[in-house]
Amino acid sequence: MTNALEVKGLRKSYGEKAVLKGIDLCVRQGDIFALLGVNGAGKTTTLECIEGLRAYDDGTISVNGRIGIQLQSAALPAHIKGAEAVRLFAKWNRKTADASMLAALGVDNIANKQYQEMSTGQKRRLHLALALIGDPDIVFLDEPTAGLDIEGRISLHDYIRNLKVQGKTIILASHDMAEVENLCDSIAILKNGEIAFAGTVIALTEKIGKRYNIQIRTGQGLETYESDDIGASLITILKSYMSWQEKDTVIQDIRVDRGSLR
Amino acid sequence: MGGIFTSVMPESKETLIQSMTVFAVTMGALIGLPPSLTEIYRSDIKNAYQANGVPLSLGLALINISAFVHLLIMSAILYVTAPLLFDAKIPEHPETCIGGLVILIAVSLSIASIIGLAVKDTANTSMFSILLFIPSTMLSGIMFPSEMLPRAFAIAGKLFPATWGYKLMTDSAFSLQTICPLLGIFLIASIVCKVLLKRIRTR
Repeated sequence: MTNALEVKGLRKSYGEKAVLKGIDLCVRQGDIFALLGVNGAGKTTTLECIEGLRAYDDGTISVNGRIGIQLQSAALPAHIKGAEAVRLFAKWNRKTADASMLAALGVDNIANKQYQEMSTGQKRRLHLALALIGDPDIVFLDEPTAGLDIEGRISLHDYIRNLKVQGKTIILASHDMAEVENLCDSIAILKNGEIAFAGTVIALTEKIGKRYNIQIRTGQGLETYESDDIGASLITILKSYMSWQEKDTVIQDIRVDRGSLR
Repeated sequence: MGGIFTSVMPESKETLIQSMTVFAVTMGALIGLPPSLTEIYRSDIKNAYQANGVPLSLGLALINISAFVHLLIMSAILYVTAPLLFDAKIPEHPETCIGGLVILIAVSLSIASIIGLAVKDTANTSMFSILLFIPSTMLSGIMFPSEMLPRAFAIAGKLFPATWGYKLMTDSAFSLQTICPLLGIFLIASIVCKVLLKRIRTR
């Protein structure tokens, strides 16, 4: 299988501060690849260098195919309507917008809505549609689910999987481990401008464990636990709380997640 | 403006349409256009365009076309209403007046585009717009004859398109002496806009 993206020795500094210190990446065609890292790790800078939106100091970047880009922060003029934006971007890409794609993303529902009146989720979906109008081979998504509610996230995840089925390569930046584990074939973790890990999600899980976070809120406060075996740990923890209930300790809320790299 | 001009200086009725038009075009272009450009080129709109194949020059072109049409409509309204409201005299050479107006609008918008592309935020665009707008109107001859100005001010006034636009619109025929400065300003402004767009693209 050929590679959709190859990056070798990518370096970028802002003044004296080196943000990327020689990054190597390789993404296979048809994969969903995630670039993970805490805020400020350089994910957006890396993506923008690859997308050709930001000049870089050194290194080579090889992109094999047409690209579509959904930026972390993008906007459109306040009064432009959804349908007008679609027509504008389609015209400049010399393509006709795929009606099924627009329907799947719910853009047809906001065709007559002005950009300033759209919700965060609607804007995200519109920008994803604009990124896909040119029928790209490689789709870049920078923090695609930021600001979306649970329903919006699930719907977007389903659509990203659908893009993979269509044979597209997806490259996304995220700090959400659960999102990455759900979606991705391979990942790279960016730390202090260098790649701290590159490989499959399974390989990462084998290396560091699953590390579930369990948060239990009671009248006495918030208790946090970490575990690799969610089932066994929850039973043990809840049993201990059940015995404490006799002492008026009532569980108010339980949250379990895979944590995030903030 | 029409009421004040004609009451202070009754003979201003002869050129009131041209004066009001030059004032309104200069204000509309210099103060109205730059914030719209700043909104596009200093925000995430630029990123969205650049990321997915929409040329950066599109925003500049669309806003200029829109402003051009709006300023033309506004000038037409002035042309029709000034004689009714202020007893303003219809220009003797309407073809020269309208031709001059078209050139003035284009040149004024080109200067305004420089402000919109070069300045980083709308607060600063207002400041630069006013810095250009005030001398443009004060020194152009639309408020009082430029012969009344001190020599240095009269020379300074020739740097602004409003001066040449007003002269062109009040002349009986086009003259190269009047058109050339306007075309020169337009050419320089267009080159500067192109350089600024290139800088924005690579930023």
